Amino acid sequence: MNNQQFLQQQTRRHFFNQCGVGVGSMALANLISDSSEAASPEATSLETPRNPLAPKPTHFPARAKRIIYMFMAGGPSQLDMFEHKPMLNQLNGQPIPNSYLEGKRFAFMDSSHRINLLGSRRPFQKYGECGAWVSDLLPHTARIVDELTFIRTCKTDLFNHAPAKLFMNTGTGQFGRPSLGSWLTYGLGSECEDLPGFVVLQSGPRGPRGGSILWGSGMLPSTYQGVPLRNQGEPILNLTTPESVSDSQQVRVLDAVRQLNAKRLAETGDEEIATRINAYEMAYRMQTSAPELMDTSGESKETLDLYGIKDPKEASFARNCLLARRLIERGVRFVQLYHTNWDHHGGPTENLEEHLPLISREIDQSGAALVLDLQRRGLLEDTIVVWGGEFGRTPMGEVRESTGRNHHIDAFTMWFAGGGFKRGFSFGETDEFGFGPIDHSVHVRDIHATLLHQLGLHHERLSIRSQGLDFRLTGVQPAKVVQEVLG
Amino acid sequence: MLHTGYMYFRNCLNCLHVVLSLILGSPVRSAQELEFNRDVRPILAENCFACHGFDKAKRESGLRLDTSEGALAKLDSGDVAIQPGKPDESKLVQRILATDDEIMPPHESGKRLTDIQKGILKSWVEQGARYDKHWAFVAPKKTLFPKSAPNGDGAIENLIDSFILERLSKEGILPSPEADPITFIRRLKLDLVGLPPTISEVDEFVAAFQKNAETARRELIDRFLRSPHYGERWGRWWLDQARYADSNGYSIDAPRQIWKYRDWVIEALNRDLPFDQFTIEQLAGDLLPNATDEQRVATGFHRNTQINQEGGIDPEQFRIDSVFDRVATTGTVWLGLTIGCAQCHDHKFDPIEQKEYYRFFAFFNNQEEPNLTLYDPELKAPALIEEQLKLESSIGKIVSDAADSLIAWEKSLTEEQTKAFSKEVQKLLTNDKPKRTAAQKRSLYAVGSGAMDESFQKFQDRSKEIDKLLSGGITTMVMKELPTPRKTNLFIQGDFTRPAEEVTCDTPSVLPSIENPASKINRLDLARWIVSPNNPLSSRVIVNRVWQHYFGRGLVETENDFGLQGSPPSHPELLDSLAVEFMERGWSLKELHRLIVNSRTYQQSSVDRADLREKDRGNVLLARQRRLRLEGEIVRDVELAACGLLSSKIGGPPVYPPIPSGVMGQGQVKREWKVSSGEDRYRRGLYTFIYRATPPPFLNVFDAPDGFSTCTRRVRSNTPLQALTLMNDAGFFEFATALEKIIQDDGIEVAFRRCASRHPSQEELTILKGLDSMSAARVLLNLDETVTRE
Repeated sequence: MNNQQFLQQQTRRHFFNQCGVGVGSMALANLISDSSEAASPEATSLETPRNPLAPKPTHFPARAKRIIYMFMAGGPSQLDMFEHKPMLNQLNGQPIPNSYLEGKRFAFMDSSHRINLLGSRRPFQKYGECGAWVSDLLPHTARIVDELTFIRTCKTDLFNHAPAKLFMNTGTGQFGRPSLGSWLTYGLGSECEDLPGFVVLQSGPRGPRGGSILWGSGMLPSTYQGVPLRNQGEPILNLTTPESVSDSQQVRVLDAVRQLNAKRLAETGDEEIATRINAYEMAYRMQTSAPELMDTSGESKETLDLYGIKDPKEASFARNCLLARRLIERGVRFVQLYHTNWDHHGGPTENLEEHLPLISREIDQSGAALVLDLQRRGLLEDTIVVWGGEFGRTPMGEVRESTGRNHHIDAFTMWFAGGGFKRGFSFGETDEFGFGPIDHSVHVRDIHATLLHQLGLHHERLSIRSQGLDFRLTGVQPAKVVQEVLG
Repeated sequence: MLHTGYMYFRNCLNCLHVVLSLILGSPVRSAQELEFNRDVRPILAENCFACHGFDKAKRESGLRLDTSEGALAKLDSGDVAIQPGKPDESKLVQRILATDDEIMPPHESGKRLTDIQKGILKSWVEQGARYDKHWAFVAPKKTLFPKSAPNGDGAIENLIDSFILERLSKEGILPSPEADPITFIRRLKLDLVGLPPTISEVDEFVAAFQKNAETARRELIDRFLRSPHYGERWGRWWLDQARYADSNGYSIDAPRQIWKYRDWVIEALNRDLPFDQFTIEQLAGDLLPNATDEQRVATGFHRNTQINQEGGIDPEQFRIDSVFDRVATTGTVWLGLTIGCAQCHDHKFDPIEQKEYYRFFAFFNNQEEPNLTLYDPELKAPALIEEQLKLESSIGKIVSDAADSLIAWEKSLTEEQTKAFSKEVQKLLTNDKPKRTAAQKRSLYAVGSGAMDESFQKFQDRSKEIDKLLSGGITTMVMKELPTPRKTNLFIQGDFTRPAEEVTCDTPSVLPSIENPASKINRLDLARWIVSPNNPLSSRVIVNRVWQHYFGRGLVETENDFGLQGSPPSHPELLDSLAVEFMERGWSLKELHRLIVNSRTYQQSSVDRADLREKDRGNVLLARQRRLRLEGEIVRDVELAACGLLSSKIGGPPVYPPIPSGVMGQGQVKREWKVSSGEDRYRRGLYTFIYRATPPPFLNVFDAPDGFSTCTRRVRSNTPLQALTLMNDAGFFEFATALEKIIQDDGIEVAFRRCASRHPSQEELTILKGLDSMSAARVLLNLDETVTRE
């Protein structure tokens, strides 16, 4: 037995044999049952989970167990990728007809400016049996359109990056609310004992604007917040036990920390101690499981080629896609991949001519590969793959030295695969310029309600009581499950 | 101690009794009286303002419901929306109760009023349809509190307690007993000084407490408020808001030098510089009459913006970005307003127009951004600089007078003689004579015809000496007003390439205007306006932000938004009374701290109770204290103190404690991190050098702010990554090694008390004694209690 295996066995033995004896553990169990009582009324009648991340029952039978969310940070241009609008090209350079502006809610722009239409320079083609339009920017995605549901009329409320990212993740632009991944791990627990239930992977030139608040747990216990994995060096800092400490010493230290913390928990009733106890257990298990997760040497060349990974050690969106598959294979509930930067306003560093094709290439092959790989492993059945940004971009252009588009919140495209979403389906239609929806506007809240629904959770029942109010991912405004896109 | 706690508890019961009977005796102020801001505005805002609000372009039927005038006006149709006191005659009530197509809000809006909401609107009209100004835009007033309510000494002495207890008794909740003295001293020292008490401090306090609890507590509070480390603890609180860090940010993230500003903050807080003056010096110290160097250093507050050093950028764009940041930061830090939202458009929720935003912007658009060089006062630098100027001019004169002799000397030089000179001089000699600079001529004169000129040589030597003395100066980044103001324009959508109309300095009209303005107002007027007693926001905002530190949550939970979207205060009269009290006590932060830590509310036990979990899970009503995980810097400070390594040195250049390898490679430009030696390795966390792009991981995982923008409240996460840091990080492991030595020398009980302050129980000792000393040390440094303020 090597050291790592020994460690793992020791922890498991300790964790499972000793949890549940002693006053601290009793208090821990009580507290956790308390918190789930307050949180989801359903949980009261059910067996009390001892570990806040232990799997919990759903509200109704689920179609999916987990989500991989590819977050295209910055707001990708649907009009250059998925929305083929010949009329937009035809009227390139002319002001958008007034009838479009009147009576419509204006998002970011001042009505006297930037009203000239900007045609797309990308050639579009129909693909698959479903005949979905895709531009030449995404040749690989084009090949899997028969697996995807496109929603072309997604709608959000906020038009600046950080608030809009928060909105897409938490259903509000305010700080301090739980994100989708936190809600899911809170509502369902995790099926992974060795890794966090909610993992964040990042690629691109910089982190997403808004930062760690995007995977924060808000008023939910911090156990449910997303854990970012580093894409260089050790996946997690300080993952290795100090050299001079033996494995058995490390186990004894952890055990004593747990016992003393549990005792303090019993004395003070502070749930944060329960969270800390859990954090230490998890930290210890991660010492073994994280290196194993990151070690892709067992992946075949064919798989690496499928994702387009040239050097498996090099950080990239492609590598993160492969890691996402490995994470959900291990039972992680929610994996979020952020890729920056899609903010193509025009100008020397962010234009549609040069930079959109580059970033599209960075995500196209591997994103499609992830869907195919999940499918052939039988995982797509109960895994939802989501692709989309915090908003889309306007049909009107910003023409500087090069072209770009502004932020647009009235209608933009996201795609979904697996987990009970229809295959080869397109929902919602936009007007001839792609400005607003003609039918079926799908609000962020509806997307949230639909995703929760597929995982067996009712968006109005999944709540946390805080400051005398019941908070929900979908808030107090009406939200509906988009039944039309579900198979 | 048990006795005192019990007394307090029992007396609160009495108090509860009194207040309850008061309420029962006078059922006048019942919940039926509606308050516009609390009960009505949210309903109108949600359902009506979209078509009947302040946005003229969207207004239907000429009706606006966001003002009283609008709601009571006769419309073109002849209808009147609201007839105060007459719900049946009010069109608004008729329309919301309609069952046909007349119903408001209309079906197609997708909005619907609930029966309760309809009832509220109807009752509100019935009660007179009173509109109130948003609470935070009205000056705070002190509410008299019931001094006669009994406590242990027969009266409630502390205004905080009176409001907290009144509310608790209304809700039928009992406060918690007083915390025991050890918990108290640890709590107090961590809150005021940011360090754990030493064992002797604990023992002395417990002894004094047993003699006279009140005196012991009062003296302890005095002592900690006088500690020079108080400025470090609360300095970091301010530096969060000042977005202080030691690098330029953006992708290049080069190091910068501005630590003199950090030291100024520490020193100003230590001498309890009144907060109004503290504000004025930071926002406009350079504009004060006869501004001192210190007052100029203070203006570093607004130099903590990022600087983009990428190639190919337009410096004007990033200058304007930094002004945007200054506006947003000023708005958030002092006014608790999201003014920054009006950068691109009129504010969606608060009455701040885009034009007003740029008027505010104009205050911050007139600066140069120089470095100030500071010298050791012993050096008498101004005299030296003056002397140097005189020397230079004398030397210049000698050299220019000697022009002819220099030419003659140069002509007389043989090849051999030339070769004997240094390479530098040789090069000068080959230079074109007419193109020689004054400095070059001077160098030649020094070796040539002036070699024997004694007075010249004397001047030269002295000049060099002064240069050397002055080279020890330290630079720091400051603000300086331009003699001629820059023109400020409104930028369409906040885009600096699209200027629109020109604007001049002014404050937002929703707040009281600047009193007796001079013909041209500037940053100094703005700074004085911000801390004017007429400003309804600043003192509330600051008091709330101090409060938040002690209880984990502000009286206004949205500590950075006191606008219409912010949350209303949990205890409005308390907030307002504290805000007024703060100003009346001369804006003294130390007095504010004293007031809070002297309250029974603060001194309660933090132990959770079953009844509270039921009735007030979030502890909004403060029937107990709250356990709070320490801030990142202080987690490390506490461990350093526990293991005896902590350096008590205050101020000076930032330091480089050990960090894991590979961290500095995460930024675009790899920066050097040469680990400090000696005591600098063990300085308090606030002295650690912070690169914005690659912050030290031990601070980062414990939620220290990134310095990219102002941070008015830290997140308190609790994650496996923190566990890995405390267990495995080499820096923390070094602390364990030091604590192991203490265990070996002084025993496990001493080590326990150095970490948790209290005595370990038998059971705890048994667990710890079952371990080798290194493991026991690591356990102690990983305890939840060690990194928590109870």
